Amino acid sequence: MANFPPSDGSIDGHEPRDARERPASGVEQSDLELVRRVQRGERGAFDLLVLRYQHRVVKLVARLLRDPTEAEDVAQEAFVKAYRAIGSFRGDSAFYTWLYRIAVNTARNTMASRQRRPLDYEAELSESEQSVVESRMRHGDTPEAVALSEEIHQTVNRAVEDLPEDLRTAIILREIEGLSYEEIAAAMDCPVGTVRSRIFRAREAIDRNLKPLLD
Amino acid sequence: MTDQIREQISALLDGELASGEISLLVRRMERDAELRRAFGNYVLAGESLRAPGGLTASPGFAARVSAALEADGAAVTTPPVTGRHAPRRWLRPLAGAAVAAGAALAAILFVPGGGEGGGQLAESTAVPPAMIVASLPPGGASPTPAQNQRMAGYLVAHGQYASAIGRRNAWSNALAADPGITRVALEIVERP
Repeated sequence: MANFPPSDGSIDGHEPRDARERPASGVEQSDLELVRRVQRGERGAFDLLVLRYQHRVVKLVARLLRDPTEAEDVAQEAFVKAYRAIGSFRGDSAFYTWLYRIAVNTARNTMASRQRRPLDYEAELSESEQSVVESRMRHGDTPEAVALSEEIHQTVNRAVEDLPEDLRTAIILREIEGLSYEEIAAAMDCPVGTVRSRIFRAREAIDRNLKPLLD
Repeated sequence: MTDQIREQISALLDGELASGEISLLVRRMERDAELRRAFGNYVLAGESLRAPGGLTASPGFAARVSAALEADGAAVTTPPVTGRHAPRRWLRPLAGAAVAAGAALAAILFVPGGGEGGGQLAESTAVPPAMIVASLPPGGASPTPAQNQRMAGYLVAHGQYASAIGRRNAWSNALAADPGITRVALEIVERP
């Protein structure tokens, strides 16, 4: 019988170790604001959390299941469980860490219910193993998913390359380096408001390129 | 849709939007699919830059989750608060018990005064109810049957000897503390 994750999400004590997956504290604060709103009954705030973390959760679940075709179903189940349990989220950890645990447990339950051997999470989280798992996962991807993912990646990269230098620098420092607006402002020697505007304009330019692909 | 709102969305994604601006923006986004789409694409662009390749959620994924929550009627559940700030379990009013308590209170208020049993109870429970409540186990533990018995005994005796206002006050305090006290009190009243 499948075990539901405990409401505090503390199923195995493992957290994402990839620094890229660790949100900056500003993002954590923003997530916490959204969580508090969900706890007060604002469903729309949860939709934003789903939008923010859908790709990471689907990617994580696909990696664990070794079957990308059912990754979205299991990821959806994880989000539904998270919504039901969000009343118990106290903010002791980052929201994504909590969500990550629920997703791992949901994937594990799916594996158990189908009597397949789940991946070893510790091994999965180590850097060397991760690349192996990702490679396996890519082999299992459907051709359509691979093609779409590749096209998205190329479109985003092209759009970033075409940006004026100040916008390109701002978006790279934010998205790849994970710097806060204040840190970017210091690095680029400009006001924080300018950073905010540059990042927004960069995203708008990327969005204009992505929109026809995704509509 | 103005650029100003979309810029707020971009700042929200980065955790750089002022707390006071979030609520209004979330409400706008709840009503506006285009704003949600923009937010989703901003996220996707960032993910693609950080971790190229591999699977991403399909374009309709977030909408499907939202529909599943809607169809499922999933509700946010709030577990009981624990720890030192938790309200005492036995202080929590229960609807059913409250109704029963109300009925029992009315019955007891009209119990004729005097009687041998009442006198004995009054003698044996000369401790004020506030002191009894204070002696109850701390930290969310339920009162013991013996404590319930003492409190109920006091209240029944009080109901027989005190004025109507006094009776009401004593019972309101006791019921607020533990609706279940009524059951014990009724047992005492009905005792032969």
